[in-house]
Amino acid sequence: MAPLAPRTGDAVFANVERVNAELFTLTYGAIVRQLLTDLEEVEEVNKQLDQMGYNIGVRLIDEFLAKSGVSSCVDFRETADVIAKVGFKMFLGVTASVTNWDAEGTSCSLVLDDNPLVDFVELPDTCQGLYYCNILSGVIRGALEMVSMKTEVTWIRDMLHGDDAYELRVKLLKQVPEEYPYKDDE
Amino acid sequence: MQFFGGSAAAEIAPSPAAPPGTATGLAGNNANMLYIFNRSGVCLLYREWHRPLHTLDAQQDQKLMFGLLFSLRSFTTKIDPTSVDKGNLGVPLLPGQGCSFYSFHTNTYKLSLLESPSGVKVILITHPKTGDMREPLRYIYNIYVEYVVKNPLYVNGTPIKCELFNTNLDQYVKTLI
Amino acid sequence: MGREVAESCVDGVIMEMVSAYCNRFYSSKPELAARRIEAIGFQVGHQLSERYTMERPRFSDHLEAIKFICKDFWSELFKKQIDNLKTNHRGTFVLQDNQFRWLTHISIDASPDNVEASQQDSSSPTSNNAAQFTSMHLYFPCGIIRGALTNLGIPCAVSADISNLPACSFVVRIKA
Repeated sequence: MAPLAPRTGDAVFANVERVNAELFTLTYGAIVRQLLTDLEEVEEVNKQLDQMGYNIGVRLIDEFLAKSGVSSCVDFRETADVIAKVGFKMFLGVTASVTNWDAEGTSCSLVLDDNPLVDFVELPDTCQGLYYCNILSGVIRGALEMVSMKTEVTWIRDMLHGDDAYELRVKLLKQVPEEYPYKDDE
Repeated sequence: MQFFGGSAAAEIAPSPAAPPGTATGLAGNNANMLYIFNRSGVCLLYREWHRPLHTLDAQQDQKLMFGLLFSLRSFTTKIDPTSVDKGNLGVPLLPGQGCSFYSFHTNTYKLSLLESPSGVKVILITHPKTGDMREPLRYIYNIYVEYVVKNPLYVNGTPIKCELFNTNLDQYVKTLI
Repeated sequence: MGREVAESCVDGVIMEMVSAYCNRFYSSKPELAARRIEAIGFQVGHQLSERYTMERPRFSDHLEAIKFICKDFWSELFKKQIDNLKTNHRGTFVLQDNQFRWLTHISIDASPDNVEASQQDSSSPTSNNAAQFTSMHLYFPCGIIRGALTNLGIPCAVSADISNLPACSFVVRIKA
């Protein structure tokens, strides 16, 4: 049997069920708007978007692994590349670039020039503290935690705030190995 | 009054395509049992199609299975002749770290294992002469994603009680030879 | 064909939105959670129908507008049309989708072990309220339909019936 090679982002995206991006963009926009109304504090909205993203990431990781055929996420550099080239492509249909590695190889930036989450979005002046795409950083944090990588993910650049691209900083805090879950005397 | 429609047969939700060569229509009782564990060692699913002999209670049986795989992986990595990077025996590994085994067989059965980098383990016990089960295991992992992970009513880490998952799994397993 | 994203993005965002409103924000007030989820759907439906009708003449009557929802609008969202449309000619329409995409991953299980599982985790939907939790998911598409029709000048109320999963019937009652 042929080796089970991981598939490219384009190949995976071509094979997943897809929907019209407008539905996604408008649904997300409506959720953010409703959260702003219900939670009032912009800070709290940022927090909840991150939490929602985290919960999505925790589930999404298995779909990603099952459909992409990626069989190991041990090396952080490789993993960052896979997120940028396969992960973003498979779900959002766009790719990110990985840049600005630090000397230790434990933190890098994911840069997005094209982001379907923000089509037709303009932030009103009252929402200047809002990280509109905070769900994305949550997704990455949640998904990486499931492959044993504890990370911190923060926004560096945001086009809705006038920057020239979207830049996420991903910092690896630690890798948590699999523990034997049962006590010996049981 | 009816404007359109009628009794158009509903289509079954599209699952990923079955690997070629698996749907031969033969057999049907090749698979003995299946286990799915999550990364914390919780047995999310135990399913049995053909197992005449039970010697342990279900919980002991599942614990033993998880322990076997855990230790075996530690051993296989330890004796890997191709790697300079040796962990100490019993030292926890990351899923996918070191070498990994995907099957062994005895004179009476074959055990095939898929371990995803997220720590999900799918274990299938079949007839000892069964061929390479890696694609079928990946297909089962896909069924798990479609009908368990994507089920909004499923709570992570709890035993799987999804009827759609079981139906699809049973149907697929019948095609294995 | 315009831009596309994976269906899981939409599924994931909706699933989390429903769970956030039901389990975190308004866990003790399900009727309030339902109203918010419906409101989010309403915004989406309103905006989508605005976009999809930009180029077309106004609908001559209610039936024309409902047919637009069943065919063009549904196809944009789910790549299929509503399978069956009925009316009583007094302002009530029943739109049935035999394989509603947003319900195809749901299995509602009433097996007794489920109770045991849910006791380990109080946030887990027990077999008893699984149906209630599923109905929470339906406020969103109901809101979408109401939003779309409202944008077309038809004020209405929309409810859903899922007695036969994964088929789903949406009942539209037009306000006179």
